Amino acid sequence: MPSQKNQALPNSETKALKIRKKGSLTQDWVGNLFSFPALFVMVAMVVYPLIYGIVISFYNTNLINRFEFVGLRYYGRLLTDMTFYKSILLTVWFTVVTVAGRAVLALLFSSILVKDNMPCKKLFRSILVLPWFFPDVVIGIVWKWLFNTNYGLFNFILQSLHIIDQPIEWLSNPSTAMWAVIVASIWKGFPFMMVMLMAALQTVPKDLYEAAELDGCNSFKQFQHVTFPGIMPVFSTTMMLEIMWCFKHFTMIWNLTKGGPVDATRVVSIDIYKTGFEYMRFGESSTRAVIVFVIIIAFTLLQKFLQRKKD
Amino acid sequence: MSAEAAKIEKKAEKSVVKHGKKVKRFPVVSLIIVILGSIGVLVPVYWMVITAFKPSTELFSIPPTIWPKNFTLQGFKNVIHLYDFPTYFLNSMIVVCGSTILTLVVSTLAGYAASRYNFKGKGAFLGFVLVTQMFPSVIMLIPYFRILRMYHLINTYLGLIIVYISFQTPLCTWLMYSYFKTIPKELDQAASIDGLNHWGIFWRINLPLAVPGLASTAIYSFINSWNEFQFALTLTSSERMKTVAVGIGEMLDDTNVFYSDMMAACILASIPLIIFFFFGQNLFFAGMTAGSVKE
Repeated sequence: MPSQKNQALPNSETKALKIRKKGSLTQDWVGNLFSFPALFVMVAMVVYPLIYGIVISFYNTNLINRFEFVGLRYYGRLLTDMTFYKSILLTVWFTVVTVAGRAVLALLFSSILVKDNMPCKKLFRSILVLPWFFPDVVIGIVWKWLFNTNYGLFNFILQSLHIIDQPIEWLSNPSTAMWAVIVASIWKGFPFMMVMLMAALQTVPKDLYEAAELDGCNSFKQFQHVTFPGIMPVFSTTMMLEIMWCFKHFTMIWNLTKGGPVDATRVVSIDIYKTGFEYMRFGESSTRAVIVFVIIIAFTLLQKFLQRKKD
Repeated sequence: MSAEAAKIEKKAEKSVVKHGKKVKRFPVVSLIIVILGSIGVLVPVYWMVITAFKPSTELFSIPPTIWPKNFTLQGFKNVIHLYDFPTYFLNSMIVVCGSTILTLVVSTLAGYAASRYNFKGKGAFLGFVLVTQMFPSVIMLIPYFRILRMYHLINTYLGLIIVYISFQTPLCTWLMYSYFKTIPKELDQAASIDGLNHWGIFWRINLPLAVPGLASTAIYSFINSWNEFQFALTLTSSERMKTVAVGIGEMLDDTNVFYSDMMAACILASIPLIIFFFFGQNLFFAGMTAGSVKE
């Protein structure tokens, strides 16, 4: 608010108005100047490539010398392309399960870790945030080794506990590959949400809990009526970010399965990458990217709309 | 009336007692949950570290050895000598540090402007910052590939730095904006009465106060760029220009590489981030949460 700043300066009202007008003019100018580099970055390096990407989606091109305008042909073709629908559904499935898993773990651990009487609080917190500090590629590779059929740790543990007799081919069996990928990405991602929620939980006033207890609320009701409303703003923001991040996630899945086996983990980001850089169909690949972009925009607008309705 | 009051009092007393009990003893179930979680986190990490120190022959022993029978540094030696890991590391450092510094300059200025001034298009600007988070980054992959080719920036540090700046700027701007909002504006007024101009207020008053926010934004940007894989994979093809992420990602494609070497590479690739884990963790999370919680 610029007016706040000007309030200290004027004495008489007319003078105040004058200065405010003048002040806001100069401030306008300074604000624009300060934000210009960022604006430049976003226009030149985000908007321009984005529009360029949309343009490419109308062309049959190898990006070097062939630029053949095909109009909406790729869009039309996509409408009947079952593999594309399948990859969208897979992505939704991956996103929903991963984000839900992360949210459950984050809620569970953060609500325990914020308690004052928790022993070794700092130690446990440090251990639990550790996964967030490993690069995605590293996590992909480490989990690939853990899931290894013959020499992996997981099969060894499960076999020595006599839960399974034969080693499971986690990553090369279409029915388990997605689950393996989901587990790895929950492992990597829950700490971020946990830390955000811990910060939010610390802002919930303690006397509210006491009041709730006096009113006869059990712990579940306390969570429902005190904790959850208190952390809701942070929770929903973090959830939105997580959904966006999961929806476009590439690195861990690529390094674990490369989208296989038999396209069982071919989420949209991998689908788009393969269409472009493996089959060299760049126009089609861009078309897919544009559609995914539209879906995400629609989802965000829907979420905004629902939230406004609720408020 | 008095009976009711007594009842409430009794209830309150009961809850105090209950509370007092709670302070003394922490619920065992919660403790068990946290310990199980910690084990779940540590086992994969342990397995990575222990595999890196195993000789390659021991990888294929059934059952796997929980503790290596023969400790060896061969994995690390292979990674450094056979795979040119130092070059990858240097490439990553140049690209990541370059893009992080430039991103910080850009996003600090913009975040400050948005928190202090009311300029034309500010609402649209901030809205756009958030909208960019939704772009699936793959949508930019092909255009960037084409654009960098046009300007001969494929296989250059500058090319990757440009791409990473474009990724990091929006969220870093948002983080800095949130942090600057927590610094009281009264200071600006005092400084302006003392005769500081706009730049002075920013440079001498607000920027020093924003150092924690700056540090956590820097760590965030560093971690994200260090992690980036897809664009580095697509936009660099020569062996000389590979980043760490791409380097180890491609080791995986080579079926002749032993997992002991790979795990050693993984450990080396994690070192910069693990340094943040040990020395910048509190700072990082304090900065990340400062804006969002107070909003």
